[in-house]
Amino acid sequence: MHWYGEAGEISIDPAECEERILNTTTIPSVFCNWEDLRDAGLISTREEYIRAVREVSIFLAMKGIAADLDKKDAALLQMVRTLDEMDDVINLLTERVTDWHAAITPGTSHKYTRANGPRLVQKIAKSGSPSLKRVAREILSLSGVRTDLMKEVSREAVSVIPNMSALVGGLVAARLIARAGGLESTAKMPGSSIQVIGAESALFSHIRTGSSSPKHGIIFQHRRVHNAKKEVRGKVARQLAAKLAIAARLDLYRGELDAEFIDQANAKIDSIFGGES
Amino acid sequence: MIDIKGTLVSEGPGGVYNERMLGNFRVWDPYRSKLAALWYLDKTTSLGKDEVVLYLGAANGTTVSHVADYVESVYAVEFAPRPMEDLLAVAKKRKNIVPIYADATRPVRYAALLEPVDLLYQDVAQPNQAGIAVKHLPFVKSGGRLVLMLKTRSVDIRKSADEVFADTCAELKEGGYVVEKSVWLDPYHKDHAAILCRKV
Repeated sequence: MHWYGEAGEISIDPAECEERILNTTTIPSVFCNWEDLRDAGLISTREEYIRAVREVSIFLAMKGIAADLDKKDAALLQMVRTLDEMDDVINLLTERVTDWHAAITPGTSHKYTRANGPRLVQKIAKSGSPSLKRVAREILSLSGVRTDLMKEVSREAVSVIPNMSALVGGLVAARLIARAGGLESTAKMPGSSIQVIGAESALFSHIRTGSSSPKHGIIFQHRRVHNAKKEVRGKVARQLAAKLAIAARLDLYRGELDAEFIDQANAKIDSIFGGES
Repeated sequence: MIDIKGTLVSEGPGGVYNERMLGNFRVWDPYRSKLAALWYLDKTTSLGKDEVVLYLGAANGTTVSHVADYVESVYAVEFAPRPMEDLLAVAKKRKNIVPIYADATRPVRYAALLEPVDLLYQDVAQPNQAGIAVKHLPFVKSGGRLVLMLKTRSVDIRKSADEVFADTCAELKEGGYVVEKSVWLDPYHKDHAAILCRKV
């Protein structure tokens, strides 16, 4: 099939061309030839042919991009990435501000003090030198924004990826799909890949040098993984990741909560978590 | 290829990606573009002004824009939405670029758009790079060329770059290409090789 159709029924209307392009199922034995269009009287030069084929390909590209960006997980992805970047910024600034504070208030040990990190920033925001105070206040206000954003991410995740969120909570679920590059790519992953999302450097060093394989990546942030006893932590992570793989597919193709599946999955994970296995 | 005192350039409207200009010519940076690197390492690299090119892995369209300055027309395939938007912006100013939003591992999806091409240029970060080139063999005119920029680390990080390279060459030969030459792109791009083939 050619994008412009076959001799006798040639047209260059984008919608008709789209249908032809999408309905092509084999690589044609005779390829497009610009002279077909010239002979049909639609164009007269090669330049015009390129213009026509461009119009169709750009039409399709715009449509395709719009459809891909319209997927409901696209916004969630950006939200969770913003959240994680905010964390980085807040931590960096907090560190800097405490150092600054130390430099102008001699005689304070920052290592052996109860007011470290965030609490110290609160203190600095009240006293401190004028500009230092302002920076500290900005950090506090940024932390407030961060907290609100975190709640929104969790809320969004529960509606966009209900099954994954039911297993590990909205925030961790959102981080997982953000790292995997979207719900669709997560749904295509086997459980073993989901288990080590976020532990890529450990995974590749395992593959390259044969060091021990990582037991968990981002899913470590879920309480049943990090609270598990060390002996069963890998087992919990593996079981949880396997169920997450199923949950991702449910979320992609069905999009609603499957309570029965969640109950069974949770029971299975909890049994390992409790050490019975 | 045009060079000004040893610096590779192409002739066309500038300002695509803040590239440096030498008069009316756009400087083509070997550290950003593998094709430019190939020219610096092998001066027989050429692009003809009558050639039709199929470019797989067009990304943001920086190299594509230079290729388009030299050749008759470029069919540029890219499948990630963000880079594709950049590519569309590049194609707005260069009327001989046909931007195609599709996955190069499934040529059937855009087979109906393509013409036979003189040069197949492939720069994709995929594990089955030789397989993709072989799938596109039907689109290459007989006597036409393949320039495959092999990113060895995308194929299999367990194997050494040399092993991946040897496997890829073998697969290309089996698939119907004649491997004519290969150039490692050091020092411009690490663990990348350009494999130059021909379809007989």
